[in-house]
Amino acid sequence: MIKPENQISIPTRQPAGPRLSIPLRFRDRRRVTILMTLIVLAYITLATLPTMIPSHFKLGTALTSFAENIKIMFWQPHLANTTFITLLGALGQSILLAFLTTLIGSVLAFFFALASTRRLAPTYLVLGIQSLMAVIRAIPTVLWVLIYSVVFGLGANAAVVGITFHSVAYLTKVYADSMDELSPGIIETMQAMGLKKSAIIRQAIIPYMMPSYLSWTFIRFEINFADAIAVGAAAGAGGIGYQLFMSSSFYFNFHEVGVMVYMILAFALVLEIISYRLRTATN
Amino acid sequence: MLTVKHLAKSYDGEKKSLTDVSFSVQPGEVTVIIGPSGAGKTTILRSINQLIRDDDGEILFDNTDIRQLNRAQLRQARCRIGMIFQNYNLIEPLTAIENVLHGCLGTKSNLAGIFSIYRNREKEEALKLLEKVGLAEFAYQQCRNLSGGQKQRVGIARALMQQPKIILCDEPIASLDPKSTITVMDILRDLATNDGISVLINLHQVDIARSYADHVIGINNGQVVFDDRIQALSDTAIASIYQKDANSEGSVVHEF
Ligand SMILES: Nc1ncnc2c1ncn2[C@@H]1O[C@H](COP(=O)(O)OP(=O)(O)OP(=O)(O)O)[C@@H](O)[C@H]1O
Ligand SMILES: [Mg+2]
Repeated sequence: MIKPENQISIPTRQPAGPRLSIPLRFRDRRRVTILMTLIVLAYITLATLPTMIPSHFKLGTALTSFAENIKIMFWQPHLANTTFITLLGALGQSILLAFLTTLIGSVLAFFFALASTRRLAPTYLVLGIQSLMAVIRAIPTVLWVLIYSVVFGLGANAAVVGITFHSVAYLTKVYADSMDELSPGIIETMQAMGLKKSAIIRQAIIPYMMPSYLSWTFIRFEINFADAIAVGAAAGAGGIGYQLFMSSSFYFNFHEVGVMVYMILAFALVLEIISYRLRTATN
Repeated sequence: MLTVKHLAKSYDGEKKSLTDVSFSVQPGEVTVIIGPSGAGKTTILRSINQLIRDDDGEILFDNTDIRQLNRAQLRQARCRIGMIFQNYNLIEPLTAIENVLHGCLGTKSNLAGIFSIYRNREKEEALKLLEKVGLAEFAYQQCRNLSGGQKQRVGIARALMQQPKIILCDEPIASLDPKSTITVMDILRDLATNDGISVLINLHQVDIARSYADHVIGINNGQVVFDDRIQALSDTAIASIYQKDANSEGSVVHEF
């Protein structure tokens, strides 16, 4: 039953002048602000672009040498300074780094999410934990690894702790969001039957959030794999990232870089297939 | 069994949703609460198991005031109060039997809740209850694949698994087709008559109340305006229960 106030009514505030067409929305200040911001940003970009290009830069030469390097990487991949087995081991190291950080991160994040979902936790915990996590998320993973390398020294330990740290913050947010989506009536029903909190979490919340738990955790695994490569180069954490760094910046051997890029692409393809399977299985 | 005395509740501290509501419910009887929308029916039902905290009064369940219990005691009391909802509130990804078994978790340990550990006796009971509501062959179906009427029957089986002394039903048939309505109401009637459970139902359908209730409580604008056997529910009584009160905005006369 529709109450009169719920019925669709034509806006009473009409644009001035003869009514040619009925507007779909009023001019609102937010849209004007967004438009102005975009115009200003576009102007700044165009104005600073010329100053960024060095004076000795020649577009033609740059493009041809870029094409040359691409050709070396993708059409003539072969190894010089390392063996394929070494690289396979290094790739395995990066994968394990991603796996370990995702595993620890998802377990910790699950408990943080329980403590910061509006369905279970008091407001001060929700706000407190979620803002802390937002701050942690705002700082990029690589930076966290560098920060922890002050404590642990450059290397794998700092990488594990740093990537885990950012994973926890990221996963806490997405897990808590998916718990928030649960209808309050469900939890109330379980409380009305006298269930303990542990039983409510296990019997009501987990069954509902399982599909999104799996898919978000998997997405984070993909992110952590990419981060593990970057961190391998930037923080000497080893793995395929370190090998990439050595070949490209130390030996300048783009043939070798090509091999590694192909290996990483192959693994990314495997991940894509798994995530597709995961999606179709849980839906 | 259940006696409510002088119950009062205001959600915002100003507008009273319940003022001085008193009534009692007998074992083995179906008691129906009727009244216009916004009268306070849901508020009464949810006060009984303290899903909402009321402001004043007494709710005697088995001679103890449920309002005075601490958290642990309230949890224990709730184990014996079944509740059935208009939108069923089942755990849809789980199977029918898993949902029914939730009914006995309140009295079990944390470990049993976390690892879904049930005794064989409890599993047999759950299957028996599903058979009782006519869903034996759906025991291992995910609840999201059941029809509305079937979901409501799983809800009833879950409430029965609590071995309840009273079952509270908030518009249990509002989303059901006529045939499922009859099935569900027949089951609820049978629980009162044959199992001696008190059944308290919020209803909008006066004709259904007539054919199933023993006792009727009429609520209008947060007050009890009728409290008598079903035989005494005359047309004039119905008209006065549903009469529009100038103070209660949004109250609607239901036509049948
Ligand atoms: N959570 C709430 N917050 C504030 N006011 C509420 C809340 N729930 C109910 N009310 C108010 O309390 C009054 C009684 O509501 P209640 O839901 O008990 O009515 P009802 O008889 O169950 O109505 P219906 O037949 O439509 O379900 C209404 O005026 C309603 O606006
Ligand atoms: Mg209601």
